[in-house]
Amino acid sequence: MTGSSPLRRQSYHRTNGSPQRNVLEEILGDDRNSEARHRYLLETAKREHDRVREEAERVYREQLQREERQRLFDARRKEEERIKLEEALAADRARLNELKAKKIAIPAPLPDPEPHVVPTVNGNAPAASLPTNNASTQPNGATSQRPMTVPAVPVPGAHVPKPPTAPIPARTQSQTPVAVAHKTPEPVKPANSVLGINGLLNNTSQPNGATSDSGTSRSAAQPSTQSRPDRHAEIHKNLKILRKSMADQAKTNAALKGRMGDMRREIRKSVGQLTVTLGVAGVNKIQQQNILRLLREARSNQMQSQLMDPSNFVLEPRNPIEGGANNDATLPSIFLYLINIFAKAAIAQFINEAGARPETADPVGVCVAATLSEPDFLWRGTSLIDIMLAKFRIVCPVLFGYRGSEKTEQGRQRLGWWKDSGRWVPEQQHMDRMTGLGAGFASISLRNFAMSKKTNPLPPRVYWTAMARIINTPPAEISDTQCVVLKAMVESYEQKFIEFYGTAAIAALRTALLDFPARAPQKSAAVNSLEVLAQMLKRDTGLVLG
Amino acid sequence: MADLASRITKPSDAPAEDAVAPAPAATEGQGNGTEEPADDGVNKGLVETTYDVEVKLSDLQADQDSPLYSGVSSFEELGLPKSINDGLLAMNFKKPSKIQERALPLMISDPPTNMIAQSQSGTGKTAAFVLTVLSRVDLTKPTQPQALLLAPSRELARQIQGVIQTIGQFCDNLIVEAAIPGSISRETGVQASVVAGTPGTVMDLIRRRQFDVSQLKALVIDEADNMLDQQGMGDQCVRVKGMLPKTIQTLLFSATFPDKVMNFARKYAPNANEIKLRHTELTVKGISQMYMDCPDESKKYDILCKLYGLMTIGSSVIFVKTRDSASEIQRRMEADGHKVSALHGAHEGQNRDALLDDFRSGRSKVLITTNVLARGIDVSSVSMVINYDIPMKGFGDKEPDMETYLHRIGRTGRFGRVGVSISFVYDHKSYEALSKIADHYGLDLVQLRPDDWDATETKVQEVIKSSRARPDYAPNALDK
Repeated sequence: MTGSSPLRRQSYHRTNGSPQRNVLEEILGDDRNSEARHRYLLETAKREHDRVREEAERVYREQLQREERQRLFDARRKEEERIKLEEALAADRARLNELKAKKIAIPAPLPDPEPHVVPTVNGNAPAASLPTNNASTQPNGATSQRPMTVPAVPVPGAHVPKPPTAPIPARTQSQTPVAVAHKTPEPVKPANSVLGINGLLNNTSQPNGATSDSGTSRSAAQPSTQSRPDRHAEIHKNLKILRKSMADQAKTNAALKGRMGDMRREIRKSVGQLTVTLGVAGVNKIQQQNILRLLREARSNQMQSQLMDPSNFVLEPRNPIEGGANNDATLPSIFLYLINIFAKAAIAQFINEAGARPETADPVGVCVAATLSEPDFLWRGTSLIDIMLAKFRIVCPVLFGYRGSEKTEQGRQRLGWWKDSGRWVPEQQHMDRMTGLGAGFASISLRNFAMSKKTNPLPPRVYWTAMARIINTPPAEISDTQCVVLKAMVESYEQKFIEFYGTAAIAALRTALLDFPARAPQKSAAVNSLEVLAQMLKRDTGLVLG
Repeated sequence: MADLASRITKPSDAPAEDAVAPAPAATEGQGNGTEEPADDGVNKGLVETTYDVEVKLSDLQADQDSPLYSGVSSFEELGLPKSINDGLLAMNFKKPSKIQERALPLMISDPPTNMIAQSQSGTGKTAAFVLTVLSRVDLTKPTQPQALLLAPSRELARQIQGVIQTIGQFCDNLIVEAAIPGSISRETGVQASVVAGTPGTVMDLIRRRQFDVSQLKALVIDEADNMLDQQGMGDQCVRVKGMLPKTIQTLLFSATFPDKVMNFARKYAPNANEIKLRHTELTVKGISQMYMDCPDESKKYDILCKLYGLMTIGSSVIFVKTRDSASEIQRRMEADGHKVSALHGAHEGQNRDALLDDFRSGRSKVLITTNVLARGIDVSSVSMVINYDIPMKGFGDKEPDMETYLHRIGRTGRFGRVGVSISFVYDHKSYEALSKIADHYGLDLVQLRPDDWDATETKVQEVIKSSRARPDYAPNALDK
């Protein structure tokens, strides 16, 4: 019964498709019940059947070939990725050694109270901002412990474990791996040497962003003499100066004033309009094009904004490259400003929207990666995504290896817990924000550029590094904030993570969702929710970690 | 501010009036960081360190007036089973809100006692009664109806069904059905331990003997003031209750409980524990309430589109009076690049479900609707609510509709998140209406003007930032 109906429909279509005469013949013809007619119809049906079958077989064969091709392609891509990672690792190692060699020369002016060093990761991080803060009161947990030998997963760009008693300057020397990781490993230079304008910028006061509220929060990370400054925080500070400069320019430049506000709001609106795609292509095409159009308009600088040195906004000094679109020493300030606005809008979207519903981060991440990898928005061949990272570093420090206790003032500062009018924002709000930022970070750093001609501005190893930094926290210092960020980074990104790293990713997930919470001394809700996530992965995807 | 506990009245000393005990003056926690750090149990487990300064108590206590604050640090402490607790963790619920902390122990204790509970929008009422229901259900009888939850619209019933399923995702054998038109099989009838539905459909099912109510243990009425007040549904609710076992535990929940409904509610749920709020406490402090001064009605469309550049917006809901303007706004906003669902009475059941699902899943981020969705709908990422038309009620829309205003703006600012509501005024009548609403709830609405968008943007940003910090922030009163 049920089998017959599609057949019938098929023959229907055929008659419908043929000239009207056929229909009439069918109805009026004398032979419509004759055997010959019947045979004829059978014959036609058989021919049609064969045709369909052949077609199906052809398509099937093609599909098999396609899949095979895809498989080979994927395999090749994985290999390439692996090689790239190893190269990066090698470069980082070399760099680390170099830095280590250098650091010994530096005297330690202050006995640093920071109790210990995390072996694989983290190193420099807290040192970068903290010592500058209140060097005397900054220590993390007071709970100085034995060196953790976290058997963590292979960390790309991992640091060689250092003795826990290492004098602090050792750590302040090293650069955050993330910053280095995704740059073409250039010969190491002192960071400041190129940034001529930086000195100028630094004169201005240093409202170290992040917190930005009512003068409370952290006092800026003023580079102290012995330590290398937190480059992310510097960029963040420079961006604030840029914003102010734009406001000043607008006072005298009518063309700029007329356009800048509209462009800013237009970008914010477009980022806000991005919606979850659920696998449908082209859903956010209009928004993406709109953003590109606005940035190109800014790039063309018809409103004649001042030119500025982009090196104030990148982590590493850059040299001109062969055939690069933007090789000059300057870019229009309106363009840099709008890139900043775009990054800001994305971060705000992560905080406000993805905090409540982490799945909404994904389309924003796609848009960020696509936009900041556009060839005409690169500077000297490399993405300006450093601006985005600087913001991440300020709003979600745990991604960069910063740690702190939620029970202490300084701990909260280090964790990026916001203050409003001198009061800590409620816990719920903080954790929401961390959720959105964790998901947002994953949404940018786990993008697949294998099919793209463009270069991935934030390759997956950055994700791996951030995860490793959290996982390698000594048990006594594990915070709820870290658990929340970690959960958001993993949830609904496990598949992409595994696609990139295979079994290594599964090992990392096991460490993140089982070992890490098991090590935490206090089984808070945030800690437990990591284990619940492991349960959910098992139930929903069949991924067994335990 | 008195905390909620002091206002829980025992059935024995139920007050005759709605009079609320005067609040003991707040003595602690307002000093903004001048007190010495001390330990009162709120921050137990505080790490004593030589170097880092502890978080000051005042900061922790600052939350105490918030409906989200609670002294209980986990759901486990409330004695919920692990399977339920895991479900809460999966939803990123970390600790109970105040209504949950206060009401849950009363509701899940034995013998079961009735409850009438009021709490602001977005403070966890649904989770509170869902947890009660889940703790009452015997999962070894998965197809035997044991709890019934009633809501005023099919959307809300489906939403409650979804919440039960999500919180109960680790409870084996939990079957939840929605008793709404077109959802229960006519052949089998209700085959679930928990049923969320609308009163009309539930009544039909019981009458047709397709819903075995003999072992129901709990009856929840969500949006209770609306359910018991409305002529049609009030009747239906009474009739449904008449068909249920006399011993059933009745739980009434709403953000609003006008006095006249309260008396009826006490008859409907006799000897109930009560948790109530004063009407100046009803607005959610995290929602920045503003109004847009439109030069005339025709400008409203363009102004609406401009709003989306002023601040970061997740999803948004636009309330309009007529279907025609809903369609027109949809057309304009889609032309401006927005993905829009327009949902109103013209759409039929399944179609409405699909439109709302688009909005819930994030396929569309703007929801334009008439009043059908003012109540209860919870999409956590809604960060802006627009009263394109001020809600009115009565013959010829004479007077402003206070309750509807409150429920509408309550679609944002869910669970302590930042939210913005913007009401459009353009003539004397709309201005008057909004003024009355502001007076009623003691609001200071911030005025926005559509002539200089740079300035308006700055103002909006300031308002959002400061209302996050100081609930009573109001740079600009409504009266000019």
